[in-house]
Amino acid sequence: MWLQLLVNAFSLGSFYALIALGFALIFGVTHAFNLAHGELIILSGYLAYSLNVGLGVPFWGVFPPCMLVLMALMAALHGLLRLVKEPFELNSLVLTFGLALVLQNLMLWGFGADYKLLAAGGSAFNPSWLPVTVTRTQLVLIVLSLVGTAAVYLLLTRTYLGKALRATIQQREAARLAGIQVQRMSLAAFGMGGLLIGLAGPLFGRNAYLHPAGGTEATLIAIIITIFAGVGKIRGILIGGWLLGLVESFTAWLVGGSWRELVSAVILIVLLLKWPQGVLTGNRTRTLP
Amino acid sequence: MAVALRGLTPLKRILWVLLWVASASGAVAAAAAPIRIGEINPLTGRLANHGIEIHEGILYAVEEANAAGGIGGRPLELVSRDDQSLAEVAVNQAEDLILREHVVDLVGGYVDAMVGPISQLAARYRTPYVASASLQRALTEGRPNPYFFRVSSLEGVTAPLSRFVLEVVQPGKVAILHAATPGATELSQELRERFDQAKLPLAMVEKFRPGTTDFSPFLLKVREAGVDVLIVNGFLADHLILVRQLRELRVPLKAYIGPWGVAYPSFTAELGAAADGLVGMCAWDPEITLAGTEAESQRLVEGFRRRFGKVPSTTSMHGYSSARALLAALQQVAASGRQPTGEALSQALRGLDLKLPMERLQFDAAGDPLTYQQVMVQIQNGRMLAVYPRERAAAEFKPMPPLD
Repeated sequence: MWLQLLVNAFSLGSFYALIALGFALIFGVTHAFNLAHGELIILSGYLAYSLNVGLGVPFWGVFPPCMLVLMALMAALHGLLRLVKEPFELNSLVLTFGLALVLQNLMLWGFGADYKLLAAGGSAFNPSWLPVTVTRTQLVLIVLSLVGTAAVYLLLTRTYLGKALRATIQQREAARLAGIQVQRMSLAAFGMGGLLIGLAGPLFGRNAYLHPAGGTEATLIAIIITIFAGVGKIRGILIGGWLLGLVESFTAWLVGGSWRELVSAVILIVLLLKWPQGVLTGNRTRTLP
Repeated sequence: MAVALRGLTPLKRILWVLLWVASASGAVAAAAAPIRIGEINPLTGRLANHGIEIHEGILYAVEEANAAGGIGGRPLELVSRDDQSLAEVAVNQAEDLILREHVVDLVGGYVDAMVGPISQLAARYRTPYVASASLQRALTEGRPNPYFFRVSSLEGVTAPLSRFVLEVVQPGKVAILHAATPGATELSQELRERFDQAKLPLAMVEKFRPGTTDFSPFLLKVREAGVDVLIVNGFLADHLILVRQLRELRVPLKAYIGPWGVAYPSFTAELGAAADGLVGMCAWDPEITLAGTEAESQRLVEGFRRRFGKVPSTTSMHGYSSARALLAALQQVAASGRQPTGEALSQALRGLDLKLPMERLQFDAAGDPLTYQQVMVQIQNGRMLAVYPRERAAAEFKPMPPLD
């Protein structure tokens, strides 16, 4: 029983991490607080649904088109945000909030108000030596969250592009003075964020459900985990997702489902008071990019 | 008129004629002016799927009435507003409809969190409001609200549901999971009391926030406790996730009952074979209609399909029935030669007796329907079949097949 709960909690946490990865990367590099993040995930989910249910494309086959389309959309959003005047943080917040509403209504018009599911195919794994069931969806979530996090982490730490991105995250002006083309880094972050959003969309449709108004929850999860991890801490996203999944699952198990959000919110407040820069950044103060 | 004009100067005569023409044309204009009906529903947001269904039912009823010549020779104008599935927006929209749009009455509404505040506004501005989907007892109990009416009632859900569980399913242990909304909470409390009276062991009662996407801890507890009947007072989206997780975690149940959200073609379409064996409730379906209204029901289904390209759902029928109640009241007031004031309409609604495909609609003194009762349905081989009460049943209830 406990083992099953643990598997479910890690799977839920992996789902949360996948939702948050794109948001954290874009926010870290550009400081754009993308309130349309959840709606873009839902849009990717609807695209996957159309391909899978409408055109019969197998589930694995929907990922490349979803990722490419979302990458293109995020590049377009980057272009739009370049037009935003100072104060950038506040104005980007307002603009992406408006974009979220536009996307919600467009999806309502295009896909209707009915709830859609991406069917979870394949049989579950039931190892004879363990009293636990791991479904295909759970396995996919855990594996993809690990792969996604590792890929972004390696890119940031082992490549020139990654180093330039990190420099932009740490000190935007210093990066500019060092010859890094900050605008290009922003575009790269938006593009990579788009790929990650495109990856999260089909999984959202498979693990939860698709509805034009369903993106708000996803945006909130992404914000919470990014705050928890700290800006630019990609490994922290996965750890944050897992911790949130564990806290929610064990709270629901021990005291009931209605307490899960409350306990998570209290923990978040405590974390913010104690580690305002994010848990994994330690206590050192740092100027945000 | 000729007599009246005698003895007046030519200028005064012209003025008299102009005044007479103006007043006569005004009277003609008033006679032909549309009667404005205000409608509020969640057309966007989390509840949009059901809000749109209710809206379509209301719109169909109004268009039907307009096609039949309107009310007292006046066409009807439906002024629709979207509450975005938010209570505060619902209140603003209702106020705007009453004060700025000058509607004569209000109709629509899904979920008591929205219907409740609108009903209070209706009382304040003396504007009749017929809610399409409302259950909370507090809205009609206690201080009477003579301007609030609804076509559904909690008793119409609780009574058949509890009797079905006790008489037909006969469970060993029951668990109730409910959304943290007023109607769902009250339904759960009511069921709990009835099961307690019947000495039926209730293993657990839990609530959840609408929008939750992970029910696995609860389902593991259900499995651990040996629960064989699970009643989920949530909505369509919650059932989609719950049923999937139920199967993934292999929770063996005799019956999964979702009073709201299961008995919908869109639900069975999304879940496919996984929906087989689930039990839901509905007040109307093309094959589950009030005796004596089969022909009217069929006409409505055909007309609705022509208009919207789909078969109406039980929720659409709630919208249709609430609009029909308002239209009948307007008709009565017009026939008596009175103006459609709030008082006159409220009085007409109280004396109404309509036989509609969903129910025979009469309101009691508190504004609740007298005979509303839902039917238990089970999805068997992709079809939604009535299984209780016995006089309306088309099939026997079958325990859920084992989960693979």
